[in-house]
Amino acid sequence: MSTISIRDLTKTYNATPAVQDLSLDVEPGSVFGLLGPNGAGKTTTFKCMLGLAQPSNGTILYEGEPLTPARFETLSYVPEKSVLYDWMTVGQHLEMQRRAFARFDGKRAAELMNLFSLDPKKRVRNLSKGMRTMVALVMAFSTQPEILVLDEPTSGLDPINQRAVLNLLVDAAARGVTVVFSSHQIGQVERAADTIAILQRGRLLLSGAVDDLKAGWKIVEGIFPDDRFAINGIASDPRVHRVDRAGRIVRLSVEREAGAVGAALQAVGAESVREVDLNLEDIFLNAVDPKSEAGAYLEAR
Amino acid sequence: MPAIFTVDPRSGVPIYLQLIEQVKRSVAIGALADGEQLPTVKALALDLTINPNTVARAYRELERDQVIETSPGRGSFIRANGAGASSKQAVSAMAATSLDNAIREAKAVGLTRTDLNALFEDALARWFPKKENA
Repeated sequence: MSTISIRDLTKTYNATPAVQDLSLDVEPGSVFGLLGPNGAGKTTTFKCMLGLAQPSNGTILYEGEPLTPARFETLSYVPEKSVLYDWMTVGQHLEMQRRAFARFDGKRAAELMNLFSLDPKKRVRNLSKGMRTMVALVMAFSTQPEILVLDEPTSGLDPINQRAVLNLLVDAAARGVTVVFSSHQIGQVERAADTIAILQRGRLLLSGAVDDLKAGWKIVEGIFPDDRFAINGIASDPRVHRVDRAGRIVRLSVEREAGAVGAALQAVGAESVREVDLNLEDIFLNAVDPKSEAGAYLEAR
Repeated sequence: MPAIFTVDPRSGVPIYLQLIEQVKRSVAIGALADGEQLPTVKALALDLTINPNTVARAYRELERDQVIETSPGRGSFIRANGAGASSKQAVSAMAATSLDNAIREAKAVGLTRTDLNALFEDALARWFPKKENA
């Protein structure tokens, strides 16, 4: 059974849909990366998951049941915007966490404070944005969570601390913790996540296991004897998302079964066919229909 | 922990396949010896900052291909028998694919069989000088 199961989630603010008909499954022990530009609906999805916002429609179940107070105890959430108190010290925040969570692990908290070189005596107002993020992460990771929900956990961090945070996710996953995190940096998600979903204007654009997406999506390039070739019905093949022609070359963005599509190109006269691997960013760009809103967004970028 | 593994997460090749390829290559060239222990899933995942499930998948497939053996509680090891043979096979397959790609590219830009033969002979002469004609 999925650890988290989101079905047909819609959340509307003042008649503007922030999330529309979103369905996702987060499997136990997986690291699930939620990708998308600002305003794609990632934070709204998290808020609905945590009961901080009421869905306009749809359900969110944890191992088949709605979020209970007992489940909430085992869940750690780090919001994108700091919720720390400026006038309190780092140590006081940890003390607050210890009192609020029966599962608080002081030893783990001390380890993490050390890892990020955080000073418990410092007041939050004197911390940089990156250090505030790290304090919030220490608080989240020290309650022995079974589910971690992290909204942009690496934003504002330098590359070394970004890597340290990604390693915390890897470490948590190795301990069997289920992690859901968002990022707009595809490279980080590609590293730490085993499953991803890409949101665009509140809608799901693409989701799946990272390795399956990479194994499935290919550019199939065919070279023809001259530029007067016709590819007949191949352009409307459901596996083909995009067709780019230049001279005697055609490049097809293919979602799956690239081999079969390549064979079809050969059948209409291509003398050389090759498959090119795509990384997540390429897959994202190729999945987007250039005529859609998302396509317009990419064009404008 | 052998520092011979590196992955490129931004590559279009799935990370578990990159790992499998590297382990097989290391075995084929002798960088990993028979019976040598591989890092634990967690250690390798942390070392490379990649998902532990990805490392576990690579290990499962290496075990299925009889390159490594895993005993519960002890860890994963390069198989004493057979690892070399199947790894060599895998590496020759990679070489064959590279060669195939090179020929396809050359053909696409109009090189003839004779041109390619000359190129190939040149390359062979460089890699296998007359003395070690074996």
